[in-house]
Amino acid sequence: MNIDTDHEKKLDAIERIVAAEEELIPSSGFLATVMERVRDEAAAPPPIPFPWMRALPGLVLVAGVIGWTGFELAHTSLSAVREVSFTQLNLAAAGRALEPAGWVALALAASLLSWLFSRRLAGRSGLL
Amino acid sequence: MHATMSAEEDLADVGRVLGGEVEAFEGIVRRWQGPLVNMAWRYCRDRGRAEEMAQEAFLRAWRGLAGWRRESSFSTWLFALAANVFRSELKRFPAVDVPLEDVAEPAGAATQHDGLAKKQSDEAVRRAVLALPMRYREPVVLYYFHEMDVAAASRTMGLPEGTMKARLARGRELLRRRFPHLSESGAWRPSPDLRGEKEALQ
Repeated sequence: MNIDTDHEKKLDAIERIVAAEEELIPSSGFLATVMERVRDEAAAPPPIPFPWMRALPGLVLVAGVIGWTGFELAHTSLSAVREVSFTQLNLAAAGRALEPAGWVALALAASLLSWLFSRRLAGRSGLL
Repeated sequence: MHATMSAEEDLADVGRVLGGEVEAFEGIVRRWQGPLVNMAWRYCRDRGRAEEMAQEAFLRAWRGLAGWRRESSFSTWLFALAANVFRSELKRFPAVDVPLEDVAEPAGAATQHDGLAKKQSDEAVRRAVLALPMRYREPVVLYYFHEMDVAAASRTMGLPEGTMKARLARGRELLRRRFPHLSESGAWRPSPDLRGEKEALQ
């Protein structure tokens, strides 16, 4: 038997089976269920949009703080690594260089700003 | 089947829904519930789940009705949206996690005279479609759902027709390899009285 003809016949058999699928009839409650869900959705209040304009200054501030922190961290780490190599693995000195007290002050300031900003937002929207 | 659906009715109902008439959506669901449930069935072969997935597709259609730009027919938009919904659902909870090589092969010619055995064998082949890799499964499912219309299937999948044909060919090739004795037994070869059916399928 020719291989191509054989393949065609196999294809025919598989196609006939897969194509000859019985038609399903949706259950009697299907339409009612869909419409019920649609009505529920239509009756629900529209979602409150995120206040992008109000949040924008805060987002810019956070992005700035994160960026600056990253830059400072990388900068400090690089100088610490250089210091380590120059001072024959002086770990204590490197630790001191990585933990400047300024970071604590910066973190406190960022927390304070964030708290003030969220209070202001909540106050405007009548939550406070 | 799908060609007989009234495009004008769809257009009118969509207009009414967008105008705030929620109940007009019922006409859309009434017309398309059959095709969508059947399409979902071919994706999962589980009746209950097929209805749930079709419901979800209708709900997404309701939410996104304003997004239909009328560049394509309503049915094309609806089928494409439904295919996306079904695909996402099946990614979360796959319908079949049996590899293709583990799908039972239909029994031999002797038992295929028995109607029940024939039905079970056919079901094994249809289930094997679900065991195909996703990349080939969906083209096969949609091709047969759209009554072997490659253009319609590729529109539903949002793929170029060439890609669709290639994936379809690969999917069918995998099925042929999985069921090498399907036509060798002779039992399922098209008999003279089935020629018309065969031509209709082509």
